[in-house]
Amino acid sequence: MRTLSLRRVVRFAAATALLPAAALAQAKSTRAKSECRVRPSDAWVRKQAEFFDESKHDWTNDSLRTALLAAAGITAPLAMPVNNGVQLVDRPPALGETAGAMTDALKQLAATRGSVWPTKSVVGAAGTHAVYLLAQRDTALGRAALHRMMEAGPAESPAADVAAFEDHMRIVWGRKQIYGTQFRVDDTGRVVLAPMEDSAHADLRREDAGLPPFRLGLCLSASLPSKP
Amino acid sequence: MMIRILSIAIAAVALAAPPAVSQTRRAAAATTHVTFAGETAGREPKTFAPMVGSWLISRDAGRNVLFIDGRVWKRGQPAGGLADKARELYGARNEEFIESIKAFAYYPIAVYKGLDNFENGEISVRFQMVGGTLDRCAGILFNVKPNGDYLTVRFNGTEDNVVLWTFNNGVRKFVKRASETVPLELGTWHTLRISVHGTALQGFLDGKPLLDYTLAEPVSGKIGVWSKTDSMVEFDDFTVTPAAK
Repeated sequence: MRTLSLRRVVRFAAATALLPAAALAQAKSTRAKSECRVRPSDAWVRKQAEFFDESKHDWTNDSLRTALLAAAGITAPLAMPVNNGVQLVDRPPALGETAGAMTDALKQLAATRGSVWPTKSVVGAAGTHAVYLLAQRDTALGRAALHRMMEAGPAESPAADVAAFEDHMRIVWGRKQIYGTQFRVDDTGRVVLAPMEDSAHADLRREDAGLPPFRLGLCLSASLPSKP
Repeated sequence: MMIRILSIAIAAVALAAPPAVSQTRRAAAATTHVTFAGETAGREPKTFAPMVGSWLISRDAGRNVLFIDGRVWKRGQPAGGLADKARELYGARNEEFIESIKAFAYYPIAVYKGLDNFENGEISVRFQMVGGTLDRCAGILFNVKPNGDYLTVRFNGTEDNVVLWTFNNGVRKFVKRASETVPLELGTWHTLRISVHGTALQGFLDGKPLLDYTLAEPVSGKIGVWSKTDSMVEFDDFTVTPAAK
Protein backbone atom coordinates (compact mmCIF):
# COMPACT_ATOMS: atom_id res chain seq x y z
CA MET A 1 0.00 0.00 0.00
CA ARG A 2 2.75 2.29 0.99
CA THR A 3 4.74 1.34 -2.13
CA LEU A 4 1.78 2.10 -4.39
CA SER A 5 1.21 5.52 -2.96
CA LEU A 6 4.91 6.25 -3.34
CA ARG A 7 4.65 5.26 -6.99
CA ARG A 8 1.70 7.60 -7.35
CA VAL A 9 3.67 10.35 -5.73
CA VAL A 10 6.61 9.72 -8.02
CA ARG A 11 4.33 9.66 -11.08
CA PHE A 12 2.65 12.87 -10.01
CA ALA A 13 6.01 14.51 -9.37
CA ALA A 14 7.30 13.35 -12.74
CA ALA A 15 4.19 14.57 -14.48
CA THR A 16 4.30 17.98 -12.86
CA ALA A 17 8.03 18.25 -13.53
CA LEU A 18 7.62 17.19 -17.14
CA LEU A 19 4.64 19.36 -17.88
CA PRO A 20 6.52 22.67 -17.98
CA ALA A 21 9.28 21.00 -20.01
CA ALA A 22 6.79 19.66 -22.53
CA ALA A 23 5.02 22.99 -22.72
CA LEU A 24 8.36 24.70 -23.18
CA ALA A 25 9.32 22.29 -25.95
CA GLN A 26 5.99 22.88 -27.67
CA ALA A 27 6.38 26.64 -27.34
CA LYS A 28 9.92 26.36 -28.68
CA SER A 29 8.73 24.31 -31.62
CA THR A 30 5.92 26.80 -32.33
CA ARG A 31 8.39 29.66 -32.14
CA ALA A 32 10.84 27.82 -34.39
CA LYS A 33 8.09 27.21 -36.94
CA SER A 34 7.11 30.86 -36.73
CA GLU A 35 10.73 31.97 -37.19
CA CYS A 36 11.01 29.63 -40.14
CA ARG A 37 7.91 30.96 -41.83
CA VAL A 38 8.06 32.75 -45.17
CA ARG A 39 5.49 35.52 -45.43
CA PRO A 40 4.39 37.21 -48.68
CA SER A 41 4.83 40.52 -46.89
CA ASP A 42 8.54 39.88 -46.17
CA ALA A 43 10.71 42.47 -47.93
CA TRP A 44 12.80 39.83 -49.72
CA VAL A 45 9.68 38.04 -51.01
CA ARG A 46 8.23 41.33 -52.23
CA LYS A 47 11.53 42.14 -53.96
CA GLN A 48 11.42 38.84 -55.82
CA ALA A 49 7.69 39.27 -56.60
CA GLU A 50 8.45 42.66 -58.10
CA PHE A 51 11.17 41.27 -60.37
CA PHE A 52 9.10 38.24 -61.41
CA ASP A 53 5.93 40.21 -62.12
CA GLU A 54 5.32 39.43 -65.79
CA SER A 55 1.93 41.06 -66.11
CA LYS A 56 3.26 43.49 -68.76
CA HIS A 57 4.40 40.64 -71.02
CA ASP A 58 7.25 42.84 -72.22
CA TRP A 59 9.91 40.39 -73.41
CA THR A 60 11.04 40.20 -77.02
CA ASN A 61 11.81 36.52 -77.73
CA ASP A 62 8.80 34.42 -76.88
CA SER A 63 9.93 31.25 -78.66
CA LEU A 64 13.26 31.19 -76.81
CA ARG A 65 11.42 31.81 -73.56
CA THR A 66 9.07 28.88 -74.20
CA ALA A 67 12.00 26.61 -75.02
CA LEU A 68 13.90 27.71 -71.90
CA LEU A 69 10.95 27.11 -69.59
CA ALA A 70 10.36 23.66 -71.09
CA ALA A 71 14.06 22.76 -70.78
CA ALA A 72 14.16 23.90 -67.17
CA GLY A 73 10.94 22.05 -66.40
CA ILE A 74 9.13 25.10 -65.06
CA THR A 75 5.92 26.89 -65.92
CA ALA A 76 5.04 30.55 -65.58
CA PRO A 77 3.88 32.27 -63.47
CA LEU A 78 6.42 31.09 -60.93
CA ALA A 79 5.38 30.56 -57.33
CA MET A 80 6.76 33.08 -54.83
CA PRO A 81 9.37 33.15 -53.51
CA VAL A 82 11.17 31.89 -56.59
CA ASN A 83 14.47 31.45 -54.76
CA ASN A 84 14.49 30.94 -50.99
CA GLY A 85 18.29 30.89 -50.91
CA VAL A 86 18.62 27.30 -49.78
CA GLN A 87 20.18 24.74 -52.09
CA LEU A 88 22.11 21.49 -51.89
CA VAL A 89 25.37 21.90 -53.84
CA ASP A 90 25.56 18.35 -55.05
CA ARG A 91 21.89 18.05 -55.90
CA PRO A 92 21.24 19.93 -59.16
CA PRO A 93 17.65 20.94 -59.85
CA ALA A 94 15.34 18.56 -61.73
CA LEU A 95 15.04 19.73 -65.32
CA GLY A 96 12.97 19.03 -68.41
CA GLU A 97 13.76 16.51 -71.16
CA THR A 98 15.24 19.13 -73.48
CA ALA A 99 17.67 20.40 -70.85
CA GLY A 100 20.74 18.86 -72.54
CA ALA A 101 20.06 20.44 -75.92
CA MET A 102 19.23 23.80 -74.38
CA THR A 103 22.42 23.72 -72.28
CA ASP A 104 24.44 23.19 -75.47
CA ALA A 105 22.58 26.06 -77.15
CA LEU A 106 23.32 28.36 -74.20
CA LYS A 107 26.99 27.36 -74.26
CA GLN A 108 27.17 28.26 -77.91
CA LEU A 109 25.42 31.54 -77.25
CA ALA A 110 27.83 32.36 -74.42
CA ALA A 111 30.81 31.64 -76.68
CA THR A 112 29.53 33.88 -79.46
CA ARG A 113 30.91 37.38 -79.21
CA GLY A 114 28.24 40.07 -79.27
CA SER A 115 25.40 37.57 -78.88
CA VAL A 116 22.22 38.61 -77.10
CA TRP A 117 22.04 36.83 -73.76
CA PRO A 118 18.57 35.78 -72.55
CA THR A 119 17.94 38.45 -69.94
CA LYS A 120 14.62 39.73 -68.59
CA SER A 121 13.87 42.05 -71.50
CA VAL A 122 14.55 39.18 -73.94
CA VAL A 123 12.89 36.15 -72.32
CA GLY A 124 11.04 37.61 -69.32
CA ALA A 125 11.81 37.06 -65.65
CA ALA A 126 10.76 33.40 -65.70
CA GLY A 127 13.06 32.86 -68.69
CA THR A 128 16.03 34.22 -66.74
CA HIS A 129 15.22 31.85 -63.87
CA ALA A 130 15.20 28.99 -66.37
CA VAL A 131 18.70 30.03 -67.51
CA TYR A 132 19.86 30.01 -63.88
CA LEU A 133 18.53 26.47 -63.37
CA LEU A 134 20.01 25.17 -66.63
CA ALA A 135 23.41 26.80 -66.13
CA GLN A 136 23.97 24.72 -63.01
CA ARG A 137 24.27 21.62 -65.19
CA ASP A 138 27.60 22.54 -66.67
CA THR A 139 30.63 24.22 -65.04
CA ALA A 140 31.84 25.91 -68.24
CA LEU A 141 28.38 27.25 -68.99
CA GLY A 142 28.03 28.21 -65.35
CA ARG A 143 31.09 30.46 -65.48
CA ALA A 144 29.93 32.21 -68.66
CA ALA A 145 26.31 32.47 -67.56
CA LEU A 146 27.24 33.92 -64.17
CA HIS A 147 29.41 36.52 -65.86
CA ARG A 148 26.60 37.45 -68.26
CA MET A 149 24.02 37.59 -65.47
CA MET A 150 26.21 39.81 -63.30
CA GLU A 151 27.06 42.04 -66.23
CA ALA A 152 23.38 42.47 -67.12
CA GLY A 153 22.66 44.05 -63.73
CA PRO A 154 19.77 43.85 -61.29
CA ALA A 155 17.13 45.12 -63.73
CA GLU A 156 17.83 42.28 -66.16
CA SER A 157 18.94 39.40 -63.90
CA PRO A 158 17.17 38.16 -60.78
CA ALA A 159 19.44 39.26 -57.93
CA ALA A 160 18.57 36.29 -55.70
CA ASP A 161 19.41 33.85 -58.50
CA VAL A 162 22.67 35.66 -59.27
CA ALA A 163 23.66 35.53 -55.60
CA ALA A 164 22.78 31.85 -55.16
CA PHE A 165 24.49 31.07 -58.45
CA GLU A 166 27.68 32.88 -57.46
CA ASP A 167 27.71 30.90 -54.22
CA HIS A 168 27.17 27.68 -56.17
CA MET A 169 30.00 28.41 -58.61
CA ARG A 170 32.35 29.45 -55.80
CA ILE A 171 31.83 26.11 -54.07
CA VAL A 172 32.33 24.30 -57.39
CA TRP A 173 35.61 26.22 -57.86
CA GLY A 174 36.77 25.29 -54.38
CA ARG A 175 36.22 28.74 -52.89
CA LYS A 176 33.99 29.74 -50.01
CA GLN A 177 30.47 31.02 -50.63
CA ILE A 178 29.58 34.57 -49.62
CA TYR A 179 25.77 34.62 -49.27
CA GLY A 180 25.28 31.36 -47.37
CA THR A 181 22.89 29.68 -49.82
CA GLN A 182 24.70 26.39 -50.42
CA PHE A 183 24.36 23.35 -48.19
CA ARG A 184 25.78 19.86 -48.14
CA VAL A 185 24.79 16.58 -46.52
CA ASP A 186 27.62 15.47 -44.23
CA ASP A 187 28.72 11.91 -43.47
CA THR A 188 26.21 11.59 -40.67
CA GLY A 189 23.34 12.60 -42.94
CA ARG A 190 22.96 16.09 -41.52
CA VAL A 191 22.37 19.10 -43.80
CA VAL A 192 25.21 21.54 -43.12
CA LEU A 193 26.21 24.93 -44.50
CA ALA A 194 28.97 24.68 -47.13
CA PRO A 195 32.13 26.70 -46.29
CA MET A 196 31.43 30.40 -46.14
CA GLU A 197 33.46 33.59 -45.74
CA ASP A 198 32.48 36.76 -43.88
CA SER A 199 29.24 35.55 -42.34
CA ALA A 200 29.31 38.76 -40.24
CA HIS A 201 28.12 40.84 -43.22
CA ALA A 202 25.96 38.09 -44.76
CA ASP A 203 22.65 39.83 -44.07
CA LEU A 204 23.85 43.01 -45.75
CA ARG A 205 24.57 41.07 -48.92
CA ARG A 206 21.46 38.91 -48.65
CA GLU A 207 19.15 41.90 -48.20
CA ASP A 208 20.64 43.52 -51.28
CA ALA A 209 20.15 40.33 -53.27
CA GLY A 210 16.56 39.77 -52.17
CA LEU A 211 17.36 36.67 -50.15
CA PRO A 212 15.86 35.85 -46.74
CA PRO A 213 17.83 36.83 -43.63
CA PHE A 214 20.69 34.43 -42.93
CA ARG A 215 19.00 33.03 -39.82
CA LEU A 216 15.83 32.24 -41.76
CA GLY A 217 17.92 30.64 -44.50
CA LEU A 218 19.58 28.35 -41.97
CA CYS A 219 16.16 27.52 -40.58
CA LEU A 220 14.76 26.76 -44.05
CA SER A 221 17.72 24.48 -44.77
CA ALA A 222 16.17 21.98 -42.35
CA SER A 223 13.58 21.28 -45.04
CA LEU A 224 16.24 20.15 -47.53
CA PRO A 225 16.22 16.41 -48.17
CA SER A 226 19.17 14.74 -46.48
CA LYS A 227 18.73 11.60 -48.57
CA PRO A 228 18.87 11.39 -52.36
CA MET B 1 25.88 61.98 -10.35
CA MET B 2 29.47 63.13 -10.76
CA ILE B 3 30.20 60.07 -12.86
CA ARG B 4 27.20 60.86 -15.06
CA ILE B 5 28.29 64.46 -15.53
CA LEU B 6 31.80 63.26 -16.32
CA SER B 7 30.42 60.75 -18.88
CA ILE B 8 28.37 63.47 -20.54
CA ALA B 9 31.41 65.74 -20.60
CA ILE B 10 33.56 63.00 -22.13
CA ALA B 11 30.84 62.24 -24.68
CA ALA B 12 30.59 65.92 -25.57
CA VAL B 13 34.35 66.14 -26.03
CA ALA B 14 34.30 62.98 -28.13
CA LEU B 15 31.53 64.40 -30.31
CA ALA B 16 33.39 67.65 -30.71
CA ALA B 17 36.65 65.90 -31.52
CA PRO B 18 37.93 66.78 -34.98
CA PRO B 19 38.41 64.07 -37.58
CA ALA B 20 41.53 62.07 -36.89
CA VAL B 21 44.13 63.43 -39.24
CA SER B 22 47.70 63.10 -38.07
CA GLN B 23 50.82 64.37 -39.70
CA THR B 24 54.18 62.70 -39.23
CA ARG B 25 57.26 64.60 -40.31
CA ARG B 26 59.71 62.49 -42.17
CA ALA B 27 63.02 63.25 -43.76
CA ALA B 28 61.65 64.41 -47.10
CA ALA B 29 57.90 64.49 -46.71
CA ALA B 30 54.96 64.93 -44.37
CA THR B 31 52.77 61.87 -44.12
CA THR B 32 49.09 62.58 -43.61
CA HIS B 33 47.17 59.74 -42.04
CA VAL B 34 43.40 59.96 -42.06
CA THR B 35 41.17 57.79 -39.88
CA PHE B 36 37.52 58.32 -39.10
CA ALA B 37 37.69 57.98 -35.33
CA GLY B 38 36.47 61.51 -34.64
CA GLU B 39 33.62 61.38 -37.12
CA THR B 40 29.94 60.63 -36.54
CA ALA B 41 28.51 57.29 -37.62
CA GLY B 42 25.68 57.65 -40.09
CA ARG B 43 26.92 60.98 -41.43
CA GLU B 44 29.01 61.91 -44.45
CA PRO B 45 32.75 62.19 -43.74
CA LYS B 46 34.22 65.58 -42.91
CA THR B 47 37.60 64.83 -44.42
CA PHE B 48 36.29 63.65 -47.80
CA ALA B 49 33.79 65.21 -50.18
CA PRO B 50 31.47 62.48 -51.53
CA MET B 51 30.80 63.49 -55.14
CA VAL B 52 29.10 60.34 -56.41
CA GLY B 53 27.52 57.59 -54.35
CA SER B 54 26.48 57.19 -50.75
CA TRP B 55 29.62 57.56 -48.62
CA LEU B 56 28.88 57.42 -44.92
CA ILE B 57 30.75 56.88 -41.70
CA SER B 58 29.91 53.43 -40.42
CA ARG B 59 30.90 51.30 -37.43
CA ASP B 60 32.74 48.05 -37.94
CA ALA B 61 34.07 46.00 -35.04
CA GLY B 62 33.88 49.04 -32.78
CA ARG B 63 35.78 51.27 -35.19
CA ASN B 64 34.60 54.09 -37.42
CA VAL B 65 35.18 53.45 -41.12
CA LEU B 66 34.23 55.13 -44.38
CA PHE B 67 31.57 53.01 -46.06
CA ILE B 68 30.48 53.18 -49.67
CA ASP B 69 26.99 51.75 -49.74
CA GLY B 70 26.43 50.62 -53.31
CA ARG B 71 22.87 49.58 -52.58
CA VAL B 72 21.97 53.23 -52.93
CA TRP B 73 23.76 53.45 -56.28
CA LYS B 74 20.86 51.66 -57.90
CA ARG B 75 18.92 54.89 -57.71
CA GLY B 76 21.53 56.24 -60.15
CA GLN B 77 22.07 59.59 -58.52
CA PRO B 78 25.21 61.55 -57.68
CA ALA B 79 25.81 62.25 -53.99
CA GLY B 80 23.59 64.84 -52.30
CA GLY B 81 24.79 68.44 -52.38
CA LEU B 82 27.04 67.79 -55.38
CA ALA B 83 26.95 71.43 -56.52
CA ASP B 84 28.04 72.76 -53.11
CA LYS B 85 30.81 70.20 -52.81
CA ALA B 86 32.06 70.89 -56.34
CA ARG B 87 32.05 74.61 -55.60
CA GLU B 88 34.03 74.00 -52.43
CA LEU B 89 36.62 71.96 -54.33
CA TYR B 90 36.88 73.83 -57.59
CA GLY B 91 35.28 77.25 -57.14
CA ALA B 92 34.23 78.81 -60.43
CA ARG B 93 34.98 75.66 -62.42
CA ASN B 94 32.45 73.59 -60.45
CA GLU B 95 29.92 73.32 -63.31
CA GLU B 96 32.44 71.68 -65.61
CA PHE B 97 33.27 69.20 -62.84
CA ILE B 98 29.59 68.44 -62.18
CA GLU B 99 28.80 67.77 -65.84
CA SER B 100 31.64 65.30 -66.12
CA ILE B 101 30.94 63.62 -62.80
CA LYS B 102 27.26 63.09 -63.66
CA ALA B 103 28.40 61.02 -66.60
CA PHE B 104 30.20 58.79 -64.11
CA ALA B 105 27.30 58.21 -61.73
CA TYR B 106 28.28 54.57 -62.22
CA TYR B 107 31.45 55.17 -60.23
CA PRO B 108 31.20 56.50 -56.67
CA ILE B 109 34.04 58.82 -55.71
CA ALA B 110 34.92 60.77 -52.57
CA VAL B 111 37.60 63.47 -52.87
CA TYR B 112 40.00 64.07 -49.98
CA LYS B 113 39.69 67.66 -48.81
CA GLY B 114 43.06 67.94 -47.10
CA LEU B 115 45.33 68.16 -50.14
CA ASP B 116 44.87 70.41 -53.15
CA ASN B 117 47.51 68.95 -55.37
CA PHE B 118 49.24 65.59 -55.32
CA GLU B 119 52.09 65.18 -57.81
CA ASN B 120 54.61 62.71 -56.42
CA GLY B 121 54.72 60.28 -53.54
CA GLU B 122 52.57 57.52 -52.12
CA ILE B 123 48.89 57.06 -51.34
CA SER B 124 47.52 54.06 -49.51
CA VAL B 125 44.21 52.98 -48.05
CA ARG B 126 43.00 49.97 -46.13
CA PHE B 127 39.79 48.40 -47.37
CA GLN B 128 37.40 45.62 -46.58
CA MET B 129 34.89 44.36 -49.13
CA VAL B 130 31.58 43.43 -47.59
CA GLY B 131 29.28 43.04 -50.57
CA GLY B 132 28.10 43.91 -54.06
CA THR B 133 26.40 41.75 -56.65
CA LEU B 134 27.88 43.41 -59.74
CA ASP B 135 31.15 44.74 -58.33
CA ARG B 136 33.22 44.81 -55.16
CA CYS B 137 35.60 47.64 -55.92
CA ALA B 138 38.02 49.58 -53.75
CA GLY B 139 40.19 52.14 -55.48
CA ILE B 140 42.58 55.02 -54.98
CA LEU B 141 41.51 58.12 -56.88
CA PHE B 142 44.22 60.50 -58.09
CA ASN B 143 45.01 63.13 -60.71
CA VAL B 144 41.50 64.54 -60.24
CA LYS B 145 41.18 67.58 -62.51
CA PRO B 146 38.71 70.46 -62.31
CA ASN B 147 36.97 69.12 -65.44
CA GLY B 148 36.27 65.78 -63.72
CA ASP B 149 39.01 63.76 -65.43
CA TYR B 150 40.88 61.38 -63.16
CA LEU B 151 42.91 58.20 -62.77
CA THR B 152 42.20 55.28 -60.46
CA VAL B 153 44.02 52.14 -59.39
CA ARG B 154 41.46 49.76 -58.02
CA PHE B 155 40.96 46.21 -56.76
CA ASN B 156 37.79 44.44 -57.88
CA GLY B 157 36.71 41.44 -55.80
CA THR B 158 34.49 40.07 -58.57
CA GLU B 159 37.53 39.90 -60.88
CA ASP B 160 40.23 39.42 -58.22
CA ASN B 161 42.53 41.92 -59.92
CA VAL B 162 44.16 45.34 -59.66
CA VAL B 163 43.65 47.60 -62.68
CA LEU B 164 44.57 51.15 -63.68
CA TRP B 165 41.74 53.08 -65.36
CA THR B 166 41.57 56.57 -66.85
CA PHE B 167 38.46 58.74 -67.05
CA ASN B 168 38.73 61.45 -69.68
CA ASN B 169 35.92 63.63 -71.01
CA GLY B 170 33.28 61.26 -69.72
CA VAL B 171 34.90 58.13 -71.15
CA ARG B 172 36.37 55.35 -69.02
CA LYS B 173 39.33 53.52 -70.50
CA PHE B 174 41.17 50.45 -69.35
CA VAL B 175 44.92 51.09 -69.13
CA LYS B 176 46.68 48.20 -67.44
CA ARG B 177 45.83 45.07 -65.49
CA ALA B 178 48.07 43.76 -62.70
CA SER B 179 50.42 40.92 -63.44
CA GLU B 180 48.41 38.39 -61.43
CA THR B 181 44.99 37.82 -59.92
CA VAL B 182 44.65 37.79 -56.14
CA PRO B 183 41.47 36.34 -54.63
CA LEU B 184 40.65 38.17 -51.39
CA GLU B 185 38.11 37.05 -48.84
CA LEU B 186 35.22 39.34 -48.03
CA GLY B 187 35.25 40.73 -44.52
CA THR B 188 39.04 40.90 -44.33
CA TRP B 189 41.17 44.04 -44.39
CA HIS B 190 43.73 44.70 -47.11
CA THR B 191 45.94 47.58 -48.18
CA LEU B 192 46.02 49.13 -51.63
CA ARG B 193 48.91 51.49 -52.30
CA ILE B 194 50.18 53.50 -55.23
CA SER B 195 53.56 55.10 -55.71
CA VAL B 196 53.95 57.97 -58.19
CA HIS B 197 57.30 59.42 -59.23
CA GLY B 198 57.09 61.58 -62.31
CA THR B 199 55.37 59.41 -64.86
CA ALA B 200 56.30 56.17 -63.11
CA LEU B 201 53.31 54.55 -61.42
CA GLN B 202 53.38 51.43 -59.27
CA GLY B 203 50.49 49.66 -57.60
CA PHE B 204 50.74 47.39 -54.55
CA LEU B 205 48.28 45.08 -52.84
CA ASP B 206 49.16 44.13 -49.27
CA GLY B 207 52.71 45.28 -49.95
CA LYS B 208 53.11 43.16 -53.06
CA PRO B 209 53.99 45.08 -56.26
CA LEU B 210 51.44 44.09 -58.90
CA LEU B 211 51.25 47.00 -61.30
CA ASP B 212 53.93 48.95 -63.11
CA TYR B 213 53.10 51.59 -65.68
CA THR B 214 54.54 54.70 -67.30
CA LEU B 215 51.91 57.43 -67.50
CA ALA B 216 51.62 59.71 -70.52
CA GLU B 217 52.26 62.77 -68.36
CA PRO B 218 53.08 63.54 -64.72
CA VAL B 219 50.28 63.47 -62.18
CA SER B 220 48.81 66.68 -60.80
CA GLY B 221 45.46 66.95 -59.02
CA LYS B 222 43.30 66.03 -56.08
CA ILE B 223 43.09 62.55 -54.61
CA GLY B 224 40.52 60.37 -52.87
CA VAL B 225 38.79 57.01 -52.89
CA TRP B 226 36.88 55.30 -55.67
CA SER B 227 34.39 52.49 -56.10
CA LYS B 228 31.97 51.07 -58.64
CA THR B 229 28.22 50.49 -59.01
CA ASP B 230 26.76 48.40 -56.18
CA SER B 231 30.01 47.74 -54.30
CA MET B 232 29.79 47.73 -50.52
CA VAL B 233 33.27 48.47 -49.23
CA GLU B 234 34.72 49.91 -46.03
CA PHE B 235 37.78 52.17 -46.11
CA ASP B 236 40.12 53.21 -43.35
CA ASP B 237 43.64 54.56 -42.77
CA PHE B 238 43.89 56.76 -45.84
CA THR B 239 47.54 57.76 -45.94
CA VAL B 240 49.30 60.16 -48.27
CA THR B 241 52.98 60.90 -48.35
CA PRO B 242 53.84 63.54 -50.95
CA ALA B 243 57.44 63.46 -52.15
CA ALA B 244 59.65 66.21 -53.46
CA LYS B 245 59.73 66.48 -57.27
